[in-house]
Amino acid sequence: MSVRLSDGLLKSVEKPSRYTGNEWNSVIKDPRNVNIRFAFCFPDTYEIGMSHLGMKILYHLLNEREDCYCERVFAPWTDMEAKMRENGIPLYSLETKDEIKNFDFAGFTLQYEMSFSNILNMLDLAGIPITADNRKDNDPFVCAGGPCAYNPEPLADIIDFFMMGEGEEIINEVMDAYAGWKGTGRSRTDFLEDIAGIEGIYVPSFYEFEYKENGTIKSFNPLKPQYPVKIRKRIIHDMDKVFYPDKIVVPYTDIVHDRIMLEVFRGCIRGCRFCQAGFIYRPVREKSHERLMELAKKLEESTGYEEISLTSLSTSDYSELEELTTELIDEMDERKVGLSLPSLRLDSFSMDLMEKAQKVRKSGLTFAPEAGTQRLRDVINKGVTEEDLLSAVSLAFNGGWHGVKLYFMLGLPTETFEDVEGIADLAYKVVNAYKRVPMEKKGKGLNVTVSTSTFVPKAFTPFQWEAQESREGVSEKQRFLKGRIRSKQVTYNYHENKLSFLEAVFARGDRRICKVLIKAWELGCRFDGWGEYFKYDIWMQAFSECGVDPYFYAVRKREYDEILPWDHIDVGVTKKFLINESKRAHDGKITPNCRKNCGGCGAAVFESGICGGDSLG
Amino acid sequence: MPPYSKAVFVEVTALVNIRAKFKRGDEVKFISHLDLMKVFERAIRRAKLPIAYSQGFNPHPGMVFGLPLSVGVTSEAEYGEFEITDDSISVNEFADRLNAQLPQGLGILSVKARRSKENIMATIAASEYSVVVGTKSECTEKNIKSSIQKYLAQNEIVVKKRTKSGMKDTNIKDMIYDLSFELQPCGTFNIIKFNMLVSAGSKANLKPDLLIASFFDYLKLDYDIDRIHRTKLFVKAQDQLLDPMDGLVL
Repeated sequence: MSVRLSDGLLKSVEKPSRYTGNEWNSVIKDPRNVNIRFAFCFPDTYEIGMSHLGMKILYHLLNEREDCYCERVFAPWTDMEAKMRENGIPLYSLETKDEIKNFDFAGFTLQYEMSFSNILNMLDLAGIPITADNRKDNDPFVCAGGPCAYNPEPLADIIDFFMMGEGEEIINEVMDAYAGWKGTGRSRTDFLEDIAGIEGIYVPSFYEFEYKENGTIKSFNPLKPQYPVKIRKRIIHDMDKVFYPDKIVVPYTDIVHDRIMLEVFRGCIRGCRFCQAGFIYRPVREKSHERLMELAKKLEESTGYEEISLTSLSTSDYSELEELTTELIDEMDERKVGLSLPSLRLDSFSMDLMEKAQKVRKSGLTFAPEAGTQRLRDVINKGVTEEDLLSAVSLAFNGGWHGVKLYFMLGLPTETFEDVEGIADLAYKVVNAYKRVPMEKKGKGLNVTVSTSTFVPKAFTPFQWEAQESREGVSEKQRFLKGRIRSKQVTYNYHENKLSFLEAVFARGDRRICKVLIKAWELGCRFDGWGEYFKYDIWMQAFSECGVDPYFYAVRKREYDEILPWDHIDVGVTKKFLINESKRAHDGKITPNCRKNCGGCGAAVFESGICGGDSLG
Repeated sequence: MPPYSKAVFVEVTALVNIRAKFKRGDEVKFISHLDLMKVFERAIRRAKLPIAYSQGFNPHPGMVFGLPLSVGVTSEAEYGEFEITDDSISVNEFADRLNAQLPQGLGILSVKARRSKENIMATIAASEYSVVVGTKSECTEKNIKSSIQKYLAQNEIVVKKRTKSGMKDTNIKDMIYDLSFELQPCGTFNIIKFNMLVSAGSKANLKPDLLIASFFDYLKLDYDIDRIHRTKLFVKAQDQLLDPMDGLVL
């Protein structure tokens, strides 16, 4: 049954069009004609969720099936939530405005740990029990996937089953299994048993953990011998043949990324040691530029968007970048479509490209050296030298740019005050590079912005064993750096590191923090990623009420032989490789990128892309 | 006179200027005016209509819209003007192609080519609305009628109006051209459908909800606005109110 939203209610909330649907290219089906109703839930606002590429792909992919209707659901903002609770309106889908409680699936994409409390809130608003063990036969199955699913344990009590890896194939296999189960009268557990055998499916309630006295994991045990001990992520082998929507929903209201996203490849050859994406998405698999041109044309025609952005990690590493951008600019120029290139390494080629393609104001360019000294950049395997950076900014200054943003992390493993000082030094070297540019070429008024964030060690990276630096330690470094940056031309931005601490707890948390999450939500936490709603003290209260020590998860250094909460998940990259990379990090040794030299990370097990001898990779 | 080159002159006259009347239904009543312009821009792009773009760093499509509607208000009398660069496209073709690309709730109702240089924004003078109001207070046809007469017969009708410099007392008496109603008793509830013709545009603009609020406050009765719908929009020429599609103002 669809919910009734009065005009008065919608008029009383901010940006009501995010709750009303009916956007161009949204899919309209008669729910009576389908067997499976799937609520694709994004645990953040409409503006964030609608900018997410994975949702666009899976929404249209599921709707290709005649037996399935996939609809979108976002977290209502706090004003709308209050109105919904006040008026007894349950969580509903944008397409039919039907209650989520009556769907077959509520599927969450996990993009960010700090949106977990929104999952609980959305389930509660929907009237679905928030823990899996309380759900009854007529409740939807609650499933999840996405990057944060690679450490699924903090949500183990909430989610009925996880889908590991890329969703395009596995989700169809699950839908097929569901079509076979639905209406047979067999139990919920029977369905979960049916799909537990599908590669990539993880049903947390089918396993249990034993813990040692010191709090670390003693063992991870399947409750029945037939449940897989290792759950391997799924990947797409042929990026040219995999489904990609040729139309996408065009929102009415401004969203974060309001443009066509053209995904050029998955994975990353770089192997920066702090970067989870660089490991979990391996191996690198590219789309051909011919396929991308075909998609670009179709998407431009079906959406009317005036901008296309190339999407991937480190887009400069795309092996057909020159062909693709030349053809795109040719084709799209007369249609007045701009090209945006968000993840480019700056060299003369990319400068030239930006000059031609981008609707750029020559104000700001962004660089991410991540660390202040070469020593520390070697530790994190960030293959950028000072020379690279300075020649890039000189190139930019000579081209008329006059603003540079530099991003760094504080609290990286082995970091000393010398490394922090290196950040200030680098900023001054950038200022000096500007001074050397001839007057007539200079844009007016240099502005260098240095931003630091706090390093959060992540699962499946060589730093997964590291302690996060204490909040006090990071604050001291922030103050130190602030003292070193005195130039009027350099601005230093940083923020409190309470949120990073909590991120670190959840990024490497185990099942035992699930109850903390539930408690924090009960105490009113939601939208934790939004500064104005983040309640650190409430979170700390939740930890203490549950008798869980957050420091155990965030600031404890692990031993290599410790069983980690995500060890039963197999992303291809082996623990042996990560240990080796961790040791190399501490020795300050860099590891060449995948194209230069195969490091033997283990992703070759997928025999795909760059690991499959494929010429594109 | 500056020496305009002939080429520039030719280019300017090759532009076709189209005025279109469109509706805005329930499906799209919650999108803002700014977002509505984006909807049209993208629909025009999908329809591959050759819209003129402004020169410069951030080219804008040649489109002008009439009086913005408040969020939540529907309309059957919205107007937009579009400049296209190909005079081989007829106005009807323009309408058909655009209609095929507009989302549900938006639709072109009629189109005409125009020669006038004055854009619609500048000439709008009045708007007609129907406003459905519910009230629990007792009312009869007769007493509403006399209330309206008394209300309009006041020397001045002062309301608090939001302006750029804060709330300001404004006399709206001269902004009300006509106010009529239909009463539909509905159990313990009365539904009154008002029809009003009020000033609109940049010189003087009276929002329908403001008039309703002022009227009910005058009567000291409870009220709840159920829906507001714009039925007509008028432009002023030679001191008379004309339909924006009238040949005289195109």
